[in-house]
Amino acid sequence: MKKIAVLTMMAFCMAMMFSSLAFSARKTIIKIGINAPLTGDIPKVGEGTKYAAQMWLEDIEKAGGLEVGGKKYEVELVIEDNESKAESAVKANTKMITQDDVLAIVGPQSSKQAVPAGEVANKYKTVMISPWSTNPNTTLDRPYVFRGCFLDPFQGPVVANFITDEFGFTKAAVLYDVASDYPKGLAEVFKQAWEEKHGPGSVVAYESFTTKDTDFSSQLTKIVKSGAQVLFTPQYYNEVPLIVSQAKNLGWTGPIVGSDSWGSAETIELCGEACYGLFFSSHYAAAGAKGATKEFIDRYEATYGYIPDDVAALTWDALRLAQQAIQDAGELTGRIEKDREAVRKALAQIKDFDGITGQMTFTEEGDPIKCAVIVRINHQGEYEFYGSSCP
Amino acid sequence: MGILQKFKQMFSTVPMLGWFLGILTAVLIEYFWGYDYISYYLGLPKIPVLFGALIMLKEPVMIPGALAYDLIVYVIPVLAVAKLSCIVTNPGAALLEKLPLWLSAVIHLVCFYAILHLWAGINDYRVLVVKLTLVSIILTVSVNVINGYQGEFSCSHPGFMALGAYVSSILTLVLFTNDKIFGTALLPPALGPYLFPLVLVVGGAAAAIGSLAVAIPSFRTRGDYLAIISLAFMFIVKSAVENLNIIGGARGMGGQPDLAPLPIIFIWTMLCIWVIHNFVTSILGKALNTVRDDEAAAESMTVKTRKTKMTAFMFGAFWAGIAGGLFAHVLTYINPGMFSINRLAEILAMVYFGGLNSIVGSIVGAVSINVLGEALRPLELFKWIIIPLILIFVMIFRPYGLISFTEINAKKLLEAKHKRQQGVSP
Repeated sequence: MKKIAVLTMMAFCMAMMFSSLAFSARKTIIKIGINAPLTGDIPKVGEGTKYAAQMWLEDIEKAGGLEVGGKKYEVELVIEDNESKAESAVKANTKMITQDDVLAIVGPQSSKQAVPAGEVANKYKTVMISPWSTNPNTTLDRPYVFRGCFLDPFQGPVVANFITDEFGFTKAAVLYDVASDYPKGLAEVFKQAWEEKHGPGSVVAYESFTTKDTDFSSQLTKIVKSGAQVLFTPQYYNEVPLIVSQAKNLGWTGPIVGSDSWGSAETIELCGEACYGLFFSSHYAAAGAKGATKEFIDRYEATYGYIPDDVAALTWDALRLAQQAIQDAGELTGRIEKDREAVRKALAQIKDFDGITGQMTFTEEGDPIKCAVIVRINHQGEYEFYGSSCP
Repeated sequence: MGILQKFKQMFSTVPMLGWFLGILTAVLIEYFWGYDYISYYLGLPKIPVLFGALIMLKEPVMIPGALAYDLIVYVIPVLAVAKLSCIVTNPGAALLEKLPLWLSAVIHLVCFYAILHLWAGINDYRVLVVKLTLVSIILTVSVNVINGYQGEFSCSHPGFMALGAYVSSILTLVLFTNDKIFGTALLPPALGPYLFPLVLVVGGAAAAIGSLAVAIPSFRTRGDYLAIISLAFMFIVKSAVENLNIIGGARGMGGQPDLAPLPIIFIWTMLCIWVIHNFVTSILGKALNTVRDDEAAAESMTVKTRKTKMTAFMFGAFWAGIAGGLFAHVLTYINPGMFSINRLAEILAMVYFGGLNSIVGSIVGAVSINVLGEALRPLELFKWIIIPLILIFVMIFRPYGLISFTEINAKKLLEAKHKRQQGVSP
């Protein structure tokens, strides 16, 4: 009995002694939450998000904090891993909002996580900006949820118009992942836009596969035989190289066009020369960029050793938007509910924000009006600006 | 070792009621003084949410503060109050012992829930973690019926869960909400909470009927075939939902009304544990165990093996459906990707970690995997190295799981603990 009591007391005293932070007062810190897929299916996306966020924090720290209403505040990032799972994204958001008292959240990137996580952010009246989610449901009827990119219903027609204007083709084929939210949605929008332009039946092959398939030869054989002139495949970086090389082996000679999901740095690394000369729509083009965009790319490459993909650029913009909104909010009261409300109001009012992925103004729904870029993969394996299309 | 023995002996006189009182004191201390005084003086930014695990891993500077907080708020009050209140709680427990066992159990459960509610209510993140943990408990206990008591290796649980989740979500969306796809609500939304149990049961029934698709073809054979067929079933359900655009396809289905608050989930979990406990200790449950050990011998001893296996399988699937329905209404969003191989791995990890053939084991497994998963969150990638490593060690040192082949003995658990003092040997 005595021994235990003594032991407990000793442990207690030790704990108190080493607690260097004891008796220090609480101060107002601006906390920004990052909800990113650091593990799971698409860790590269999570990495880009994290790196962009750390670069942003560096800038703020260099400036000695964020100035709001004439007072400088310390800024802290709360980076949470959502494991690329919906329930984990919900947990992460709930934790950041109720436990860490974040002022705004940037992320999650994929719609699969952004749709349920947006529900949480909206419930607790906290601003959430998803940089990369293109599903309309993410922001629909949620005044507190914003996004940093254009939507699928805009991107689909842009690609269809580009192919028509550039090559003059009339017959297209589509290959997409039926089990994944984003490719499926975009494939549908593209098909609709294409058939509107060239009449019903002009999408001569509309083939699907399931996530984690690696052999596309039966679908591609059908596509080659269908007489299509162009192949549209809105897939992620892990599938694009397989599709492109298998198509070439099966005798496909036409162009292959993709969407913004191609934009990862990994695509070209895995695909190599097979992808040179192909086109995709995206948020920004790294090669030949100017001004602030170039500055961002150079800095990112110098720090982390590779050219940032669109996720990193969009995250950067989302963080800058959040920063702008916090600064526009006037002053921070330290009462988190009130401050969050003020940030939301300020964010909704931002006009012609000059981001590195283009100018942005938010609609009522919290979706930005911005231009899409057509990128060509040039013969050095760089993503080169080819053209742009604005709404 | 000596200290541990002494420690055990010292607290052997504390009845369950005493522990409850101790925990209640701790929670009350946290509730009233946690934020304003204790965590403030220790330099913590807020009340540490999961006993300080998150903050300790994220900022090592905070480790002493968080440990001190745990000591002040939890360890010392719980032990002190539990020990000192023995004089009161032991007679109290003795008094409750005179009541019928079910009534005493219900009283204990109500006390337990009150404490849990108070503890979780301090932070909404805790509420969410507790909710998802309770759902996992239902899931794990139901898997244990098939993989433990029946001794088969079934992989279709995520499929059953998906059936339950989708059927109940469709019902609540059709009946109680104005949805884009299903039109206006057929019933007033105010009826939702009252009819929700019915909706869940329908979801569970759908899962049970779906389980026949696995049971009928596979139970004619033995062993590995069930694993293969059930795995196929899981993928069939997933692919079917992905291709059904009316229920959202791969985009998933959202907007379910929030009909699953903490008390509802708690009641369902307790109901599940009670029903499954009675099931596995009934004659049918014993028959199930004989089928597991030796099917031919059981058959010759007049056990209807086929019927027994089917019943148990459908029963397990039913509870998985219920868990799925609750899960869908906690997250208010589901997509088919959630009910895939990842979920299966999680479920199997929980059941084999906790222990086969034991409800206590299942509870321990579900709680520990869930809490570990949350507590190690700041480690990011390393979390996925640590948890599997723990699993491997459990499998090496305790091949049947932490607590296997033991049943809940409610009477022994709740009884007063002063008998030893009177010299009556147990």
